[in-house]
Amino acid sequence: MAIKNIVVIGGGPAGLEASAQLHYMGYNVFLIEKNDKLGGHLGKWDRLFPQGIQSEELLNPLIKNTAGVKTFVNTEVVNINKLEKQYNIILSNGITILARAVLFATGFDLFPASKKEEYGYGIYDKVITNADLEIFFRTKSDSRIVNPLKIGFVHCVGSRDEKTGNRQCSKVCCATAVKQACEIKEVFPNAEVICFYMDLRMFGRKYEDLYLTAQKKYGVRFIRGRVSEVGENINHQLIVKAEDTLSSKPLKVTLDLLVLMCGMNNSSEGIKTASLIGLKADEDGFFETLNPMQGSIFSHKKGVFYAGAATGPKTLPETINEGRAAAICINNYIKEEINE
Amino acid sequence: MRERILGGYDNFVLPFMIGIVFIITYLLIGLIRVIIHIPGPDRKKLLLSFVNPSAIYKNIRDIICDCLIHVKIFKRKAILGYMHASIAFGWFMLIVIGHIEVALYVPQRNGVLYYPVFFRYFVKQEGDITLRGAFFFFLMDFFLLLVLSGIGLAMYKRVHSMALGMRRTTKPGFADRLALYCLWAIFPLRLLAESFTAGISGGSFLTKPMNMLFQNFLSDDMHILPTWWAYSVALGLFFIAMPFSRYMHIPTEALLIVLRNAGLKVTKIRKGFAAAEIYSCSSCGLCIDACPMNTQKKNLKYSSVYFIRFLRRNRTKKINKIAEKCLMCGKCVALCPVGVDSCGIKRAQRTTVYNNLKYDYSYLTSVSHNPPTNTNEEKKSSSILYFAGCMTHLTPSIIKSMEKIFESANVDYQFADKDGGVCCGRPLIIAGKADAAKEIINKNTELIKASGCTTIVLSCPICLKVMQEDYNLKGINLIHHTQFINQLINDNKLKLSKTSDSLVYHDPCELGRGCNIYDEPRNIIQNIGELKQAQSEKLESICCGGSIGSLSLTYDDRTKITQNSVNKLLINNPDKIITACPLCLKTFKDQAPVPVEDIALLVAKNIEVA
Repeated sequence: MAIKNIVVIGGGPAGLEASAQLHYMGYNVFLIEKNDKLGGHLGKWDRLFPQGIQSEELLNPLIKNTAGVKTFVNTEVVNINKLEKQYNIILSNGITILARAVLFATGFDLFPASKKEEYGYGIYDKVITNADLEIFFRTKSDSRIVNPLKIGFVHCVGSRDEKTGNRQCSKVCCATAVKQACEIKEVFPNAEVICFYMDLRMFGRKYEDLYLTAQKKYGVRFIRGRVSEVGENINHQLIVKAEDTLSSKPLKVTLDLLVLMCGMNNSSEGIKTASLIGLKADEDGFFETLNPMQGSIFSHKKGVFYAGAATGPKTLPETINEGRAAAICINNYIKEEINE
Repeated sequence: MRERILGGYDNFVLPFMIGIVFIITYLLIGLIRVIIHIPGPDRKKLLLSFVNPSAIYKNIRDIICDCLIHVKIFKRKAILGYMHASIAFGWFMLIVIGHIEVALYVPQRNGVLYYPVFFRYFVKQEGDITLRGAFFFFLMDFFLLLVLSGIGLAMYKRVHSMALGMRRTTKPGFADRLALYCLWAIFPLRLLAESFTAGISGGSFLTKPMNMLFQNFLSDDMHILPTWWAYSVALGLFFIAMPFSRYMHIPTEALLIVLRNAGLKVTKIRKGFAAAEIYSCSSCGLCIDACPMNTQKKNLKYSSVYFIRFLRRNRTKKINKIAEKCLMCGKCVALCPVGVDSCGIKRAQRTTVYNNLKYDYSYLTSVSHNPPTNTNEEKKSSSILYFAGCMTHLTPSIIKSMEKIFESANVDYQFADKDGGVCCGRPLIIAGKADAAKEIINKNTELIKASGCTTIVLSCPICLKVMQEDYNLKGINLIHHTQFINQLINDNKLKLSKTSDSLVYHDPCELGRGCNIYDEPRNIIQNIGELKQAQSEKLESICCGGSIGSLSLTYDDRTKITQNSVNKLLINNPDKIITACPLCLKTFKDQAPVPVEDIALLVAKNIEVA
């Protein structure tokens, strides 16, 4: 078989790593990114938990390694047709690629915070999301953040919440919240910071250390209980009502800033593209994989693979590992096809 | 006209007599049992309604309209209405005219139960036909024909229920079938019997020609008696099967109308007023089509008709399951031709379960509406109180919009629960825990009265409904914000800019069917954009799926309801869905492909600045 083309959809960490590895194996890789920049959500983040390294330290080498990959930014997949043993992929820039394999590294969408209207995102000035805060950390400017003295973090916004249609845990927000709580204490040392959590899921290596640091070094308060509603007083401060489930008491605090830890939904663009070849999302919105116990690389279609958050919320190391694993699976698949 | 049979008796009347005596006894005992179980104050109300002329008028009017003419069914589907009216009204007239005939021609037989029914068997026509006789014979034949036409339709409907405008209908049980076939048989048999005797007793346009026709090939009078026997047996069997069948609704409905008009409510499950409701259900199945849960076939079994069937059979487990599942949207009640308040019975049923729950009211002491202010100037408290309610606090866009509207219209108001309030109590009441709600109702009443307001503007129809029904707020005007905004527009206090948006309005259950507010929101919308029609509107509006009414419906089931409701709203491709309930807003927002806004937000966005 002469054709060694492989199309990778999505230029985030998973797509970048897989492209680099496949290129290294000698395949002709096409990386499709809908935005004007590679990096996905990682490119918008400031520092990463648990060690707090700058996102660029991770992202730059990832991009550098894709030097030989044919990368199309600002490009979308218009259509995919399955031929006998190949896929015909039509791009929005007019290019058509005949590929042996397609990798969906389409990543995730941040849960739209305005859907949880009771938290007042888009209604009250002083309510922001985790993504907004990362931009603030990078740029140090946000008109909504003016010397806050009391800051709250709401965990599980659009995660573990059946009413928003998301039953699953988004996995990374607990650690992100704890990281951001520490960071904002660094920016505003006099501020009081409260985290409202359901359960703290500090499952990863060194995450627990981060949690202890947040309490010991930064004095972040952790209150177990979901925020029920947010109001505003005449001074545009936020009145936050919650329940402290450890003491079984309702709680009302006045805050100057509230950060919503938005969870992950499957990428809506990714779902649209996958539907072109009849791949379906599961009940939780993420893609169905062939055999969940054997990893989440294989789709129900031969020659189509997944990597990264498209098959469920994942941390960065997991995502990058999956990108690498997907490269191996694709390589094995093509070799088997040739031998047949 | 004179009596033909001496003594005015024949053995064939026996089956009829057994049936009629049985049913009358049964009904009398039933009536006594219902009255026994009606609580004292309600019985007093009932007695008073019998001496109140306007109540008497209302009873008679409702019984004629609902039991005989079936106006409600006519309005919904003319042909279905005709089917019911022709049988009920026709049969009623046959009975009335039968009695008139007896009184006119054989007055000595007045009061004999079977005589008017079998009148034509017992009499003989002599000499010239009088005009009077011809007139009554004509009427009798006419009404018989009317009934027969209804029976014909009924038979056709059994085969093709779609043809008469019903998508789904119930499966009849054994007694239902027996009664049904008897009912079908009664009138054709009567026609046959009267036709065979028409040569002797006389007849009119229907029975006379039939008689002549029969004489051509059935010259023997031997056929007379067997057909009268058959007619009598059909009647007797029908009456005996009636209490165990859906046809029990025929006598019970009249009782229900009287009890309902007296202002009675469900107090005990399956007894008293509830019994009248349960036996008034005709098992027609209109509620199956009405129920928002019908989007999934597996949920059809939770329709009110089955709930009532299980109540009659006393199947507690199934009764509880349906009672918990119900969304309490009230659509089945609104569309029920008999007006059975199944939601009321379900609420009563809910009082029987989970009664060992603990309630903590200690927080009530900390809630106050008007926190003391330090300002020295004595500000006169405003007569308008805005009560947002807890659901509205979860949709702050409504609160912000209302604040803007109050400000733009220069309305002085107090914000009752700006800093948090107490639940209105309706969620508890709907859950069947009315006693638990009393404490918070008292607290709210106390806070409202302390404010000195004369008008309360509410953003949540759930709060509005409970304040209208379960609060004692005499002298205070309760209005929903749609009514308030509409009034501001009418008084020229609020100027709105017209947009080119096309908008569809969703009637929230508690505002529409609950509080009967349909026109004000539509009027407001027409001031701002083009009002598009939804597929099911007003009384027929479909629950958004987010109702606090259901205690056990899963999120997935609710999602299906929401999607169906949204699809029906979007039938004419509007740009936006407008609603007037914070709960509907929240529910739709997650699912609708077009923007969803509360009517207050729509107004606030389009206020024309002078």
